[in-house]
Amino acid sequence: MSISFRRAALATSVSFAALILAAPAVFAQEAIFVLQQDEVGVPTYNVVTNGNTNVGARLIYDTLTVQDADQSFHPGLADSWVEAPDGMSWEFTLKTGVTFHNGEPFNATAAAAWLALYAATDNSYMTQSIDKIEAVGESTLKLTMKNPDPNLLYNLSSSFMGVVEPKAFAALGENYGVTEAVGTGPFKLESFAIGSETVLARNDDYTWGSSLAVNKGPAKIAKITLREIAEESTAFLELKTGGVDMLLGVPTDFLGELAKEPNITALTLPGQEVVYMPFNVTKAPFDDINVRHAAALAVNQQEILDSVYGGVGSVANQFLISALPESKVAPEYLISYDPAKAAELLDAAGWTMGADGVRAKDGVPLSITLWTQSDSVFRRLTEVIQAEFKAVGIASEITTFDSSMIRDQYKTGEQQAAVRSYYWNNADIVDWFFGGDRLGYPNISMFNDPKAEELRVKAMSGSANGTERTANFVAYHEYVLSQFPMAPIYQPVQNIGYNKDRLVLPAEIHGTRIGAATILDTTVVE
Amino acid sequence: MLGYTLRRLVLLIPVFLAVSVIIFAIIHLIPGDPVDSLLKVGSGPEQRAEITARYGLDRPLYEQYLIWLGNLLTGDMGTAIVGKRPVIDLVGQALPHSLVLSGLALLFSTVFGIALGVIAALKRGKLADQAIMGGVLLGSTVPSFWLGLLLILAFSVQLGWFPVSGARTWSGLVLPVLTIGLGGIALVARVTRVAMIDASQRDFVMLLHAKGMPPMRIQLRHVLRHALIPVVTILALRIGWVLGGAVTVEVVFARPGLGTLLIKALNQHDYPVVQACLLLLAMAVMLGTLLGDILQAAMDPRVRAALQ
Repeated sequence: MSISFRRAALATSVSFAALILAAPAVFAQEAIFVLQQDEVGVPTYNVVTNGNTNVGARLIYDTLTVQDADQSFHPGLADSWVEAPDGMSWEFTLKTGVTFHNGEPFNATAAAAWLALYAATDNSYMTQSIDKIEAVGESTLKLTMKNPDPNLLYNLSSSFMGVVEPKAFAALGENYGVTEAVGTGPFKLESFAIGSETVLARNDDYTWGSSLAVNKGPAKIAKITLREIAEESTAFLELKTGGVDMLLGVPTDFLGELAKEPNITALTLPGQEVVYMPFNVTKAPFDDINVRHAAALAVNQQEILDSVYGGVGSVANQFLISALPESKVAPEYLISYDPAKAAELLDAAGWTMGADGVRAKDGVPLSITLWTQSDSVFRRLTEVIQAEFKAVGIASEITTFDSSMIRDQYKTGEQQAAVRSYYWNNADIVDWFFGGDRLGYPNISMFNDPKAEELRVKAMSGSANGTERTANFVAYHEYVLSQFPMAPIYQPVQNIGYNKDRLVLPAEIHGTRIGAATILDTTVVE
Repeated sequence: MLGYTLRRLVLLIPVFLAVSVIIFAIIHLIPGDPVDSLLKVGSGPEQRAEITARYGLDRPLYEQYLIWLGNLLTGDMGTAIVGKRPVIDLVGQALPHSLVLSGLALLFSTVFGIALGVIAALKRGKLADQAIMGGVLLGSTVPSFWLGLLLILAFSVQLGWFPVSGARTWSGLVLPVLTIGLGGIALVARVTRVAMIDASQRDFVMLLHAKGMPPMRIQLRHVLRHALIPVVTILALRIGWVLGGAVTVEVVFARPGLGTLLIKALNQHDYPVVQACLLLLAMAVMLGTLLGDILQAAMDPRVRAALQ
């Protein structure tokens, strides 16, 4: 009896101690978020020199401009701006009464000193079109340009262009962004353990919330812990068990599991990713535009959306995310599933259907290699495309590469077709993937067309203002689509999962992703 | 012993150089370019050339190797190309986490491995022996990645005893230590069992029995002491392997450490970080081997005599 009692007491004590130790350190007005996968492992909050940022940077730093989900630009630290008619200069009127986390004032002099920091860094391309930076008075910043850059507002809203306090930046040297990071944002960096977690404390002096936030004052959440969990299953289990309050990225595969949890809800934001299939226009059979056109029409986007992605997201019929104005091409350029036309095009190109269901020309079967990356969803998607190609008489063999190495494989130029995706919310992605000076990678299609090059130059550097830039990019985009160097497939959405018993998010989410505007309006349930 | 230790340390120098060449060559020969991780949409070929030159990646490989080695010898591991931080800082933050995890896992597998090995040897051929050996064999064959997730489901999701992941509390160490440690128990238990059986057949054991010493006392005080010599050697050899084995477990349990750092750096082809992590893991194996040999010599008079 005595031994049983002691055992029971011991077991109870151990369990109790374990429960106390295991209890997550969550208190009122504190929240724990898990970073999305592509933001894990950022080694510093030095946005000036570093090539990677995470949501923490968007909370520590404000930007001069902010971008909404519809890709429109709004005042951030700059209340307003004026672009010269010829695009050769910009004047930004800055907000007054703004201070950095260390008490230093934010004004035109500080903004000019911050912009100058980008020279000779890996991020220098962000300011490469700026010739001269001047502080004109206390709150006017004047930029004189080397050439018109209608993309400037986009760059200024990027998280790589969070406004850094120049004196702290100079004083801390290589420790800047690690031990301290000084911005004007709604949260201050309290601690940062690389690869593990970042703790942010509310900036109680904050009264200059961007125009995208309802709450312009201090955030309602006092402390945010940003956890880095590289393994998606682990992150999901943390949300399920209450270890964290929000996953800033949930793979579509997990949405079904998420729906089974009564206290968890999923939030969907417009996507910034496009899944597509580049064709190598220099490799047979895709050196024939009819074959490229047919292959693009053989892809059943709706079937892929339903079977691979469970109906979450939308089909892609052109190359850009649909929120961009440059995606609004004329209907005749949209690429949609049409197996009958695909068959017709292949017949016209001399590829006749054989008894084995594979087309052939001059005794050579229409057989290609489809490259894909090792992630399971890409494998599944590529297998569906393989079946869809087979339906129109194109035989294909799948070659899988590790995701971290496939880029170098593209550089060999040996690919025929590949299934991949990109994540970007600017029309200059067309230049990136189809520019004639980047063959192999990123121009996997090896597309180098004189007319496209002419349109590309005009789109990239021949526009004096935003309207012209949009028109030039639409023309460039349309021409690229007409040459079928790729087949658009799918446009995912951003999935966010959160514990609705713990967090109340604003009814309408502003911004291109979860950032300061959303967090300022989010409350923790007591 | 001192002379032997010094000789072995000197012999490590060519091994270290050979390992550094192999690591450098492998990292640079596998496909991948860190500049791809630095270039953003909008940057052109000029920026690629500029960044490539900035990090010395346009120099011949042998030159890059010599610069890296030269810096290494002065304690400078370089600066992360993608991470933009001194590698020594990144490694310095990660290493303590990995050492604690690996150290506890090694301790766990040692204590339980020796205990199970002793029981199996004492119950040789009986059901307990077969059950223990079967169990540890099963434990050693389960992939750590899968085992980790199973443990999370059982002890975190179902029972709620331990946190799912992270390094915020000491209780967060329990499941990762179990995941790594369970795999190590098999080896320690098997070596202990064989060594115990071997030692118990020695003449001195028969003499002790003849003198009337209680059998359990003979086993635990004399046989086990004798049997521990190969076990200690094996444990020293395992130091490096346990550190390396923590790589996947750190990712599953979202723990900071060398593994997490290495995986991220590998994905970004951040050469200086990958090289430093691999070199540290290789050095752990080399030093573990050396420690094993020294301990064996210290514990076994026959080995000492042979060395002299």
